[in-house]
Amino acid sequence: MRPLVWLALLFGTGALLLAQEPPAANPAANNPHLGNPESIRGGMTLYRVRCGECHGLDASGYRGPDLIAVLSGGATDERLFQTIRKGVPGTEMPPTTSPDDELLMIIAYLRKIGTVAPPASPIGNVENGRRLFASQCMSCHSVAGRGGRLGPDLSRIGASRSHGALVREIRTPSEWVPPSYETVTLVTKDGERIRGTKKNEDVFSIQVMDLRERIQGYLKSNLQQVIYEPGSLMPAFDSARLNDSDLTDLVAYLSTLRIRN
Amino acid sequence: MRALMLIAICSVTLAAQQAAAPRVTSQDLLDGLKDPTRWLTYSGEYNGQRHSPLTQITPENVHQLSAQWTFQTGTLGSFQTTPIVVDGVLYVTGFNNNAWAIDARSGRPIWRYRRELPEDLHNCCGPVNRGFGVLGDRLFMTTIDAHLLALDMRTGGIVYDVQLEDYKVGYSATVAPLVVKDKVIIGIAGAEYGIRGFIDAYDVQTGKRAWRFYTVAGPGEPGGRTWPQGEAYKRGGGSIWVTGTYDPQLNLVFFGTGNPGPDYYSNAREGDNLYTASLVALDADTGQLRWYYQFTPHDVHDWDSTQVPVLGDLTMNGQPRKVVMFANRNGFFYTLDRLTGKPIVAKPFVETTWAKEIGSDGRPVLLPGHLPDEDGTKTCPDLGGGTNYMSPSYDPTTRLFFVTARETCATYFAFDQKFKPGEQYESGGTQRPRDQKNFGALRAIDPVTATLKWEFRYTSVSSAGVLTTASGLVFAGDGDGNILAFDSRSGKNLWHYQLGFSMRSTAGTTYLLDGRQYLLVPSGSTLTAFALPRS
Repeated sequence: MRPLVWLALLFGTGALLLAQEPPAANPAANNPHLGNPESIRGGMTLYRVRCGECHGLDASGYRGPDLIAVLSGGATDERLFQTIRKGVPGTEMPPTTSPDDELLMIIAYLRKIGTVAPPASPIGNVENGRRLFASQCMSCHSVAGRGGRLGPDLSRIGASRSHGALVREIRTPSEWVPPSYETVTLVTKDGERIRGTKKNEDVFSIQVMDLRERIQGYLKSNLQQVIYEPGSLMPAFDSARLNDSDLTDLVAYLSTLRIRN
Repeated sequence: MRALMLIAICSVTLAAQQAAAPRVTSQDLLDGLKDPTRWLTYSGEYNGQRHSPLTQITPENVHQLSAQWTFQTGTLGSFQTTPIVVDGVLYVTGFNNNAWAIDARSGRPIWRYRRELPEDLHNCCGPVNRGFGVLGDRLFMTTIDAHLLALDMRTGGIVYDVQLEDYKVGYSATVAPLVVKDKVIIGIAGAEYGIRGFIDAYDVQTGKRAWRFYTVAGPGEPGGRTWPQGEAYKRGGGSIWVTGTYDPQLNLVFFGTGNPGPDYYSNAREGDNLYTASLVALDADTGQLRWYYQFTPHDVHDWDSTQVPVLGDLTMNGQPRKVVMFANRNGFFYTLDRLTGKPIVAKPFVETTWAKEIGSDGRPVLLPGHLPDEDGTKTCPDLGGGTNYMSPSYDPTTRLFFVTARETCATYFAFDQKFKPGEQYESGGTQRPRDQKNFGALRAIDPVTATLKWEFRYTSVSSAGVLTTASGLVFAGDGDGNILAFDSRSGKNLWHYQLGFSMRSTAGTTYLLDGRQYLLVPSGSTLTAFALPRS
């Protein structure tokens, strides 16, 4: 009996020791493939074969989530690695036993397509851009929790949009309106008009944020009309409204926005 | 004392004899919904019409439907199942091959089965399951690790467990078995992993395999020359993941087959690639191919033809015809001759940009510019198709075919990929064009002319199936979590209820219990039973 007790104690101590061991380091914390063109090409091939079917070849989502949005939302490489390794229980996302290196190459590829590197030397006056943002944009857009909520949060916009994309979206915002920010006007049976952005909708109801940032749902049967406006609520900042020099400064400021959480 | 013993023995013997009486016979399966207290097969009837004779819930009173109970699985993942209903008990399969027997009166569980699944599963589209087959006292379920199980209806205990193929190289099974006479007929999935698809029949009693039909023709077999020489056929796909139908008079089973593998890269498999993206009619006893019709020869858009083949009798051009009605993922609706497989009429039921029409030879007349390549080509419909695995329904009274339609387009890409066993083998993918506005609709189609009679548009695409009843109702689901009821003749929406999650694959089922008609709806991880107020 006594040897058994000893054995049990030994095993118990071992378990305790194991429990006290620090968790294994996440390989993505030190990813040697980031920025390596050869690894990124390899990662692209792996991504296309294993991930593209669900997440879309451009990683903007199909059956699975939009990975570009996940990245620009501040997801860390460690979290990405864990998700790829373990899968997401209860969804179509399976776990994998592939070597760490393959997962790290996929992450390097996603970082390449989903992240915009900061410019080597900023073009434009960032301080003037900050002032312009505060006066022209902040009533609708927020950064780090400050500002309006009618438009998308721009805290990490610098990491997810190229210089060219930012220029395009400021000059011609109606060219493409992201989901959840499409413009609608609801006309009640009393004739009241409620303008805002559409947050959700089905055949029978619609959920909006109005211009006073109030979120509210409406039954369509209680409305006289739902008007789907083709353009964005954001005005087009053409050169008369924002000259080229100020545009450069504003984009310079936006390019610095890479705030996580 | 001796007399008492005798009475006791007699009682036990009697009880044993009663218990031994099979709950469900082959005749019951043939009778289908003639006994509306039961729902015994995937589509309710062998003919796949998913049309109930019940008339208690009508267009006039359907707005009074209210939830009677809700069952929650307590597991992750969403239902794609059609519950079986036998004598007041529901038999339901769920995510990861969980399964339950549930009291149909109260929603309270009676037993639960849960399968220990390996961790290294390969599965393209989630560990879902589409339902039980039933015969005698046994339930039959396929598993995500490519097995066929027979369970005891009374306990959920395993009677037998048969391996279909090796899950480690990508085989899996999600289909609800089709039980015909003394055979359990199933199909295999895994085309996205480069498997060779098949349809199998197993002996109900022993689980021993009776026949196998490969959906990918091999060298030297009829259809074998529609594949390149070499090993391409071994990874040629042709999955079976939606339950087929059965014609007892012709003794034929009908199954739609999946896409060829690899999904998108044309050069890997030149030829028509028989019998993928086809409808096959097999002898139920032997598995011999009687006829086939290939909807999409050499498919390069992942358009499985794994939709339910709906059997019906129509009058066409003044002649009575036995037909198969088929709304295909490639965007065309077909009415085929059930005796020969020849198309009688075929027309698009959604926007299709890849083919102009179905020619007089039965082949699609292709439009140029729709072969996926490295640069991407835009084609409608998208890989989800004009419709997909969601069940349609046919109402023989109104002679209308109801289907959940998807209006979608995608940019398709293709590239060469080296095959590696156990690894996804699709050789391409898709992207949604940024300006693409997809939507779904319930569409009523006249199968005699293949023309649209009415539609009800949803705000987004839906994967919900359809159920019709003899009272003139259509039950369907949108992509936003609503179950809806419509007047089957006019398409007028009469009722809806927000379930909290959209129905996927499954449609509502309906049954009579204690004289009351129930509508049973699986969505997300819940089952909800609806009924009219007690009078």
